[in-house]
Amino acid sequence: MAIDSVTLEILKNHSRAAAESMAFTLYRTAHSAFVKETEDFTTGLTTPEGETFATPTELGATWFVGLNYKNVIDLIDHYDEGDICLTNDPYSGYVCTHSPDMHIWKPVFHEGEIVCFVVGHIHNTDVGGAVPASLSRTLSEIHQEGVRIPPAKILRKGEVNDDVLSIMLANVRMPEQNWGDLKAQIASMNTGERKVHDMIAKFGIETFKEGIAALLDYAEDQARAIVRDLPDGQYAFADYMDEDVAEGYPCRIALNVTIDGDSLVFDLTGSDPQIEGSVNMPTGGEVRHALMMVGLVYVLYSLDKKLFLNSGISRVCRCILPTGTIVNPEFPAAVGLRTLSVQRLQAIIFGAFVQAAPDKLPASPASGGPIMNVNGIDNRTGRRVVASTGPIVGGAGGNPHEDGTEGSGANSSFLKNTPVEINEAEVPIKIVRYGLRPDSGGPGKFRGGMATVMHFVSQAPNTRITARNRDRTRFTSWGVLGGHAGATSQFLLNPGTNHEVNLGNTDILTIGPGDEMLVACGGAGGWGNPFERDPAAVLLDVQRGFVSMDSALQDYGVVIKDGAVDEAATTKLRASEPGKVNGAFYDYGSGRDAFEVVWTEANYAAMTELLAELPVHWRFFVKHRVFEAIEALDDDALKGDGSEIRTVFADVIARYPQLQMSA
Amino acid sequence: MSYRVGVDIGGTFTDFCVFDEESGGLHTLKVLSTPEKPGEEVLTGIQELERRHGVAPGDISYFTHGTTVGVNTVIQRKGINLCLFTTENFEDVLEVARLKMPDPYDLFSRRPVPLVGREKVFPIPGRILFDGSEEIPLDEDAVLEALEGVRAVGGDGVVVALLHSYRNPSHERRVIEIVKREAPELFIVSTSEVWPIIREYERTVTAVVAGYVQPRVSHYLGSLQDALGKAGVPAEPMITKSNGGVMSAEAGKTRCAQMLLSGTAAGVIGACQIARMAKVENALSLDIGGTSADVAVVRSGMPQYGIGEMIGDFPIFIPTVSVTSIGEGGGSIAWVDPHGVLKVGPESAGSNPGPACYDNGGERPTITDAFVVSGFLGQSELGYGNVTMRTDLAQKAVATVAEKLSMSLEETAEAIIKVGISGMYLEVSKLVSRYGIDPREMSLVAFGGAGPMLACHVARELNMRRIVIPLTPGVLSAFGGLIADIKNDFIRTVYLDLDTTTAGTIRDGFAELREAAMTWIRDEQGFGGEATLLHSADLRYRGQSYEIDTPLELEWLETGDVAAIEAAFHREHERVYEHADEEAPVQVINLRMVVVGEPPKPALPLLAKAEGDPVPVGSVEVHVDGGRQPAGIYRRGDLRAGHRFQGPAIVTQDDCTTCILNGFSAEVDEYGNLILEAGE
Repeated sequence: MAIDSVTLEILKNHSRAAAESMAFTLYRTAHSAFVKETEDFTTGLTTPEGETFATPTELGATWFVGLNYKNVIDLIDHYDEGDICLTNDPYSGYVCTHSPDMHIWKPVFHEGEIVCFVVGHIHNTDVGGAVPASLSRTLSEIHQEGVRIPPAKILRKGEVNDDVLSIMLANVRMPEQNWGDLKAQIASMNTGERKVHDMIAKFGIETFKEGIAALLDYAEDQARAIVRDLPDGQYAFADYMDEDVAEGYPCRIALNVTIDGDSLVFDLTGSDPQIEGSVNMPTGGEVRHALMMVGLVYVLYSLDKKLFLNSGISRVCRCILPTGTIVNPEFPAAVGLRTLSVQRLQAIIFGAFVQAAPDKLPASPASGGPIMNVNGIDNRTGRRVVASTGPIVGGAGGNPHEDGTEGSGANSSFLKNTPVEINEAEVPIKIVRYGLRPDSGGPGKFRGGMATVMHFVSQAPNTRITARNRDRTRFTSWGVLGGHAGATSQFLLNPGTNHEVNLGNTDILTIGPGDEMLVACGGAGGWGNPFERDPAAVLLDVQRGFVSMDSALQDYGVVIKDGAVDEAATTKLRASEPGKVNGAFYDYGSGRDAFEVVWTEANYAAMTELLAELPVHWRFFVKHRVFEAIEALDDDALKGDGSEIRTVFADVIARYPQLQMSA
Repeated sequence: MSYRVGVDIGGTFTDFCVFDEESGGLHTLKVLSTPEKPGEEVLTGIQELERRHGVAPGDISYFTHGTTVGVNTVIQRKGINLCLFTTENFEDVLEVARLKMPDPYDLFSRRPVPLVGREKVFPIPGRILFDGSEEIPLDEDAVLEALEGVRAVGGDGVVVALLHSYRNPSHERRVIEIVKREAPELFIVSTSEVWPIIREYERTVTAVVAGYVQPRVSHYLGSLQDALGKAGVPAEPMITKSNGGVMSAEAGKTRCAQMLLSGTAAGVIGACQIARMAKVENALSLDIGGTSADVAVVRSGMPQYGIGEMIGDFPIFIPTVSVTSIGEGGGSIAWVDPHGVLKVGPESAGSNPGPACYDNGGERPTITDAFVVSGFLGQSELGYGNVTMRTDLAQKAVATVAEKLSMSLEETAEAIIKVGISGMYLEVSKLVSRYGIDPREMSLVAFGGAGPMLACHVARELNMRRIVIPLTPGVLSAFGGLIADIKNDFIRTVYLDLDTTTAGTIRDGFAELREAAMTWIRDEQGFGGEATLLHSADLRYRGQSYEIDTPLELEWLETGDVAAIEAAFHREHERVYEHADEEAPVQVINLRMVVVGEPPKPALPLLAKAEGDPVPVGSVEVHVDGGRQPAGIYRRGDLRAGHRFQGPAIVTQDDCTTCILNGFSAEVDEYGNLILEAGE
């Protein structure tokens, strides 16, 4: 590199200071409680070409390290000093990834030349559209997900552009809050701009220009060094969401990672067609789309925590994202709840890499826990309360050295809960139980972390509960190398009564006074054979209430008598049942095992291949007809080699002559 | 004769600051700390003070003391075998905490292992609701069962943490009664006694940290009292508190939650005093030692307070002088990564082995070694003659890095300093952005063993123009304790909408706090002087989940002037967050009271006026800003009020060296503070 390595390190610290200062300014001056509570925002600095060279690590969402603003920067034809631009349209340049995210960027000029951009986003609580908060899995078109502002100047030469602002504010439910948060974003842009000017004054313009390019190269070099240490090869992994739409069929995301020297290819061919719902991931097929890079950044950073986080990291990877699929939907597919699919994708990336480095990476983190919201009238005040009662999350997967963390961790580490006492003060519910859910973490030599569970009683009639991102009631978090899958998630109405209802993946319902709800996240996967777990650790788990006596005996082969490990009986039991380990690399859990008896890899691949040949607007429809037809088949018609899929598919096509006429 | 003595025990050194009430003179001393025998260093120091300065123990009329025994007990996990009683079905409060992990990008990131393992948490059925009403009576038999559990795990003590006890502590109190009756040998404390705030994790972790260390701290304070008594010191020792005040050691035995950060807080109090003396309104207080740099914000001469300040790995939520600790100090180690990039820290040589130049076995180059190589250090003895600088060893260590960078020794030394400083810049930038302040409008009060060495570099990086180096930079915490007020905090959660109907409740709440505050300062502390009461409340807009501690005037409370309270909140909100919503309804979460008693303060001595220019004791070539420059060496003890000189220069004194860079001018003020100003 041309810039000397000492100056580079100093410039790196100053660049990060700029990004962190932007984040603190935004966090401090934001109006909405949502921003303060969830920290769902980012700030950053990009090169004039839009590559992010510095991001904050202390505050904000972890998703956008690899974000490239080039497409939206280019959609504005001319910049003046003092301009600030914004967009929240997922289909204008594929920088924004769902409509609540308001992305904003400001050019920084030096002597008339743009030398970098300061950038960032905030997740707005609401941007209008069909439902409050703008997100629901029942939506199927982007137009239902709120107002869309294509890239436009919100400030022109430092003056607010009321034309754009008034359109935006006229279309949202809480305009003052959106405007307040936008002002905080503008303040953060100005902080960043000032910091960049300070850096130019300190380092000189040439060093600054060279330096920011070198920072991207530096992160790239670091990332390549990490990749080079992984064995070359192809590592395929796929996983499912329980349902593509409410009461629908499973939805698969398939990934084939190629490690070749210091480069990677992520091939998502074989993933489901785009959904008539809102869990689609809008990537535009960009070969290094930020949403595809989240899991990669987690993996590489976890392998080497000295990795400098910027979009230089994503240069090591190239993605293949077939159009018309869940990973590259065509306009106007809805994308609001891509949170669920992106999180699943992250764990799928972990699943591929753990094959390459099983001695370095963990089993699957938990998922399937929702962010809970309660909307009801507080008896004490007569006021309507709309409040989040917090995320119901689960732990990290077991790893080669220790158990997964309890209650949260891995790719849900940034979430914070709401205290029980605050929930009871603010929301018309009484909480009966909040804590860890026994036996939820997948058994293993190093077990998966326990999930959290909340059990509460509604205090008022017509209390609406939303449980966004419910999943994992069927397909569970996987274990590796003999470690077991985690427990399924749970969502029960009036548990333990004669009118108990299993709500499955329901994500919205209305309950009344005295109704009880139990919501539990799925557990994380275990790492390694649980029969090799230190019996003392199993005993401690039992004493801690994390593992039941039954599970200690059945899953871990540990006999506990009078509060102590019966060493002799344990040794005998463990020796007699080595068959607990079937030698498979992954344990997917019984839900997926049962599903894949029918839907073998060959069958699923055959279906996605055939669907890919259809016009995009037919694929989701035909997928459902194929699933129905396969469900109707007799067991002996199932061969698992793809042939029954081809037969069924041909039948379905034949039923719809309209398809022949479709372009 | 009459002396006031301030003592601060740090990891390596124990600092003494002595004020001679008759002559007005200040003496300082450092002795090595004896962590394995806490208290012994205090006696050693008292003997040494008599030997060196003729301070007879019998003449010590006021004694304050800051100690790290509590925080070290947490860091080293050497507290008691503690158990926890929680409301049934909420036993995982410590395991779950607030969920968030320290490093959200790292798949392996973990919360610290709780001080009470889940196997030592026992459920107590019974339920108090949010409004303080009892839904389910306490199950007293379950308390006996839980006690069986405590015995089975060999517990030494119990923290009782029941839901909503900040509102109605009756269940917690009843549990304590039962335990005291059934198991009087057990130490027991409840969350409502320690700090009764809403939010179960925050209240519980505060009480658990306090309970974990209390018996040990109490024992320590008892032996200190005995030792001082035997040494013939007549003064009842005072302990410096995390809130920047002091209390009697006797009170500290049961209220150790309030003194966990006593040393760091006292340092900031010292810095505030220095800022006031130097007529500086707003300052950054920067205390740099071997392994870390503690930064605090001083506004209008006063420290800022924070909640959730860290005790080792754990946050506690009682009012604490807010200090941000940066993991970088004089001992931070320089290294080169596989991509040829120079890094400084986070690893530190600490105090053992310490920098290579200390000749104590350290071989890797530290920031201090870089200063030796560049010629700034090694010009005199440090640490009261305890440490000798070995330039050759520093050079040897720096050479290991220089080789990898293909740079000269001097260039490498400068690079190490600059990279180290840029790391501090990053952390300080975060801090000032969090507060929304501009360091360019503030002065830097630099102290600690390495603060004066690094101050000019830090100021340059932050574009700060003015630096204040106190007369006794090595013992500022001990000094801060000497001048601290007697001080305590009180809180009461009310959780109300602020309107005319609630004004009476608020007034009554404050009346109760006032009574508790006066009882504390008069009866518990035996303080007869004037006591000041400061009223404030944690206020927020409805819908927010965070509060602002807003100072209130007694008159508003007595007359029920809700509008004035609201206006004060809007102003505070505007100041902190740069916006306010005067239409939005306001909630009162907590009422707060601070009681302050001012003990007689020492009248700090004025330095003799200078006659003529200061005379350097020598000159040396330093390598800085890419070249060699001659630097005058001055002895701090030779400097007089009004003396002026230019950088580059070196000022040496017993416990630290001030490095003044080119472009800075130095002036000595009437109290002996060294004021450094950056030129245009």
